[in-house]
Amino acid sequence: MRALGYALGLPAVLVAAWWVASDGSTNVFLPPLRTIVEAFRDVWFSGTFVSDVVPSLWRLAAGYAVALAAGVTLGFVIGRWAVPRALTGPLLAYFRVLPAPVLIPVLLVAVGIGDATKLVVITVGAVWPILLNTADGVRAADEVGLETAAAYRLPRRTRHLLVLRGASPQIFAGARQALGLSIILMVVSEMLMSTDGLGFTVVQFQRSFAIPQMWSGVLLIGLLGFGLAKLFELVERRALRWHRGHTGQLTERR
Amino acid sequence: MTSLLEIAGVGKTYRARERTVEVLTAVDLSVSEGEFVALVGPSGCGKTTLLKIVAGLLPATTGQVRFDGRPVTEPPAGLGVVFQEYGRSLYAWKTVRQNVELPLRHLGLSRARRRELVADALDALDAVGLGAAGDAYPWQLSGGMQQRVAIARAVAYRPRLLLMDEPFSAVDAQTRADLEDLVAALWKRYGMTIVLVTHDIDEAVYLSQRVVVLGTGVSGVQADIPVDLPADREQIGTRSSAPFGELRTRVWTQVRRTPDGEPHARRTPESEMA
Repeated sequence: MRALGYALGLPAVLVAAWWVASDGSTNVFLPPLRTIVEAFRDVWFSGTFVSDVVPSLWRLAAGYAVALAAGVTLGFVIGRWAVPRALTGPLLAYFRVLPAPVLIPVLLVAVGIGDATKLVVITVGAVWPILLNTADGVRAADEVGLETAAAYRLPRRTRHLLVLRGASPQIFAGARQALGLSIILMVVSEMLMSTDGLGFTVVQFQRSFAIPQMWSGVLLIGLLGFGLAKLFELVERRALRWHRGHTGQLTERR
Repeated sequence: MTSLLEIAGVGKTYRARERTVEVLTAVDLSVSEGEFVALVGPSGCGKTTLLKIVAGLLPATTGQVRFDGRPVTEPPAGLGVVFQEYGRSLYAWKTVRQNVELPLRHLGLSRARRRELVADALDALDAVGLGAAGDAYPWQLSGGMQQRVAIARAVAYRPRLLLMDEPFSAVDAQTRADLEDLVAALWKRYGMTIVLVTHDIDEAVYLSQRVVVLGTGVSGVQADIPVDLPADREQIGTRSSAPFGELRTRVWTQVRRTPDGEPHARRTPESEMA
């Protein structure tokens, strides 16, 4: 209860301060919060939700899912075996520092303005933290655990799964980073090359001087990111309960 | 008695860029079916290396290990292991029961038979309610209890040969005594062959039928001492008996004798650095 109070206290104060300070504002670019909230209701509780929010969420989910699958698979191969690791080392060092948005102009020419381009941008940008963290976690697989598995002649597939599960704390760390990146890339790619979506809508509002509507889009994207991060945290807490116990962050014992 | 394990001229040399380190030189040892052998020696004598070679986890540089007549090139069927680091050997995301059952899942046993083996092993290990704790995770248990789970996993597997690498080094003295008696009881009950690596000479004499002393330097087997104590042993009585004292002195003398500086000793990494 107290923790909840602390968690909500400062945001509530800030929102209230914004509300009061902006009330009666005549600055076109900084409209009153009251106006923004009204615009929020008008814009997002309407057909715009289906025409723009749903496509954005779909792209985000698809791009993130592909990044997750590719990142874990490649990270596993690179972490587990020395030859792929040696082969890919310099390439990884290059691509991990290449900002994904620079691909947008290239893809625009090569693939066009469709969904494929946005998916590729999201995937290509979000795959790195997942891949690198997975590779690290897999490489650090516990020697004793591996020897135990080998001594009991566990099949290869089971041993791979044990390694992957042991690496899951790092995989989750990468996936969390990638989620934030995916949202950024979703918005950026829609701002630069799209005919619908959240990023596109915000830019449209700005270009047509619909400033309160633009602000409402900014708020919605923030809320979306916050909600997804919380959802992720929920899944992570469940999946990694053993890890918190194993590393002494849970205190219950029998 | 037939010999289950045959170690012939096994040596291990690690080659780094400039130096080679000889950890083990020409070990010859045979272990009969049903025997309980303790392997002792000063630290750095390669006890653990030898155990890993026997388990098929590490290739020997020279010589050969035969298990049940067949050369060991990978972990053979019918081998159970218990390592010192129980916290790393158990899988933290699996419950006690899942950990114990894991090796059985790939033996082609029926579900009922698997359950039976797990229940029986947990039962055999159940001094302080491990059976009830089957749904607990390893990290919810004390160190001693976790090592019990690792032993239960080995027992449920019904190994012909159980290899134990310093299994009691990381637990407190009281738990250690309990676990020693437990292993002795399991050995009698299931009749498997046990090779125990330990640095504790008293423990080696107390548990085994034969203490094998590995030397440093020349390595190889330095001494092979039969333990002719009665089969039924008990922590206080056995350990204070005169024959126990004599045996531990004999083993001690052998361990001490292994030497840097003996005429035929080769250079060890330690003496090179000194």
